[in-house]
Amino acid sequence: MKVKFFAAALFIQALLMQTAHAELLIELVGGRTDAVPIAVVPFQMTGSATGDSIDKIVAADLHRSGQFRPLPVEDMLSRPTRASEVNYRDFRVLGTDYLVVGNVEQMVDGTYKVSYELHDVPRGVKLLSETYQPSPAQMRDVAHAISDRIYEQLTGVPGAFSTRVVYVTHSRNATWPYQLQYADADGARVQTILKSREPIMSPSWSPDGKKIAYVSFEGDGLPGIYIHELATMQRKKVSSFSGINGAPDWSPNGQRLALTLSRDGNPEIYVMDIASGKVERKTTHYGIDTEPRWLPDGQSLVFTSSRGGGPQVYKLDLRDNSVRRVSFEGDYNARPAVTPDGRFLTYVHRRGGKFHIAVQDLKRGTFDIVTQTDMDESPSVAPNGSMIIYATQYGGAGVLEAVSIDGRIKVHLPSKEGEVREPAWSPFL
Amino acid sequence: MRAFSLDRIMALLLVALLAACSSQPTEDTTAEDTTAATSTESEAVAPSVPVKPQTSSIPLTADNFANHPSNYDGTTDTKVIFFTFDNSAVPAAAFETLRAHANYLKGNSSAKVRLEGHADERGTREYNVALSERRAQSVEKFLRVQGVSASQIEVVSYGEEKPSAYGHDEMSWAKNRRVALNYTAGRP
Repeated sequence: MKVKFFAAALFIQALLMQTAHAELLIELVGGRTDAVPIAVVPFQMTGSATGDSIDKIVAADLHRSGQFRPLPVEDMLSRPTRASEVNYRDFRVLGTDYLVVGNVEQMVDGTYKVSYELHDVPRGVKLLSETYQPSPAQMRDVAHAISDRIYEQLTGVPGAFSTRVVYVTHSRNATWPYQLQYADADGARVQTILKSREPIMSPSWSPDGKKIAYVSFEGDGLPGIYIHELATMQRKKVSSFSGINGAPDWSPNGQRLALTLSRDGNPEIYVMDIASGKVERKTTHYGIDTEPRWLPDGQSLVFTSSRGGGPQVYKLDLRDNSVRRVSFEGDYNARPAVTPDGRFLTYVHRRGGKFHIAVQDLKRGTFDIVTQTDMDESPSVAPNGSMIIYATQYGGAGVLEAVSIDGRIKVHLPSKEGEVREPAWSPFL
Repeated sequence: MRAFSLDRIMALLLVALLAACSSQPTEDTTAEDTTAATSTESEAVAPSVPVKPQTSSIPLTADNFANHPSNYDGTTDTKVIFFTFDNSAVPAAAFETLRAHANYLKGNSSAKVRLEGHADERGTREYNVALSERRAQSVEKFLRVQGVSASQIEVVSYGEEKPSAYGHDEMSWAKNRRVALNYTAGRP
């Protein structure tokens, strides 16, 4: 009861914050109380400054990470734009730990010069000072790059704000009900990269971030696995065997796909050599084997199998095709994903008829349920290992949310495109 | 456990009722049967026609949905078979309907049917694709046992990707756990 009330209070707070930051596409619905106070002062604009406001994007990025608490602009006692104007005392009295100042200057060739500085307020020293020269179309990219630099400087972990996500949307009454969308990690700049009358499933990024593999039932209504090159929009059907062609996952070296085929009558895990198209069967069991995910070593996979009764997560060693069970908590654990360092496993866990995202620490053996909603699925890990993006239902509609690996930070991504599902977070780009 | 045993009892009751209904002639045939019984052996007897069970007395619920007689008319007009939760066994109430499809396919060798397996939204998506393939395979097996040629059957599984009911409740889930018989050639 207490927990519920706490969550409700946080949510109301999140709604208030949402109205305060119109640009914030991601809401904080649960957060830590020890978020670091930071002031991102509005950048000074000279010339006809157009496009997205860099300081607002940086503040939203840092806020969305859950690890920083940006100071509201109206609370600032002064608004410096460069080191010479900074009076640390104005920020010390507000309890601010870090300060970001900057300015944007329009150049004669139409590009911009963007300069920013990061200051340590209590110590009164400058930590970072950099300059970018973007075209007007690159302003948002520069903002995310600045967020990445600040995040890494202050946390020691590379920022993942410049990354992308792909996800599937479903709008049942639309001409093209199934669509594959491509967007910035903050949900901005959405582009539709595939529209279909038939289902689209299981998008997976190539490790270089240039291609997506996915399942599409387009055309004859039968499943095929496609490889889609983002820069050229060229597509190639790489798998269309009889039965299931499902769950593609790109190997760490980019040369192979793990996938599920039922061409022998039963769903089994296969590995495809992409260049030759040759597939090799890796599991042999009358139960269901599906949802393979590579481990970072490129020599083993985790996957879902019903060989023990209900679905559980197993590990497959590709050197000898040996299989051992990894998940033990409860009677339903499926659709694993792995952190880039291989330490944490996340998967869908059923408890009391509800589906949650769970995190298992493979080193320490601990198990934690990190989400509290009822229909959580398709976890995908950020390339810096900080957050898990996943699909859930909110008010009866499919939406995306993200949660930190430790479950302490959760952000809610509002959707504009109908049912949103199956997010896949890109590698570093 | 309780829900499971209740389910079983309900299924058994339905099967029993179905049997009772089919052994009980309708008013029309009763008259004919009486005549047949009292007249000489040489007199022709009208062939028995499939009897639709009286189902109005059994309320349709999410629990009995897969086995509810009202979902199956015993002919090829019925093109959707429903399944109970986490189960890929063909429900007994659908046997007559599937036999009708089998007979049609055997009598029309150019007819082709695509068995489209579906799951409800609970559980992970690719796992549901695998589960719904099992349902379609159960129907395939049933038709094959009846003597239908493998070349007339195609199986495809959509998991939870193409629901027919969009609610997030037990009844919607019951409607979505299904195999659709989609004739791609020689539709009856």
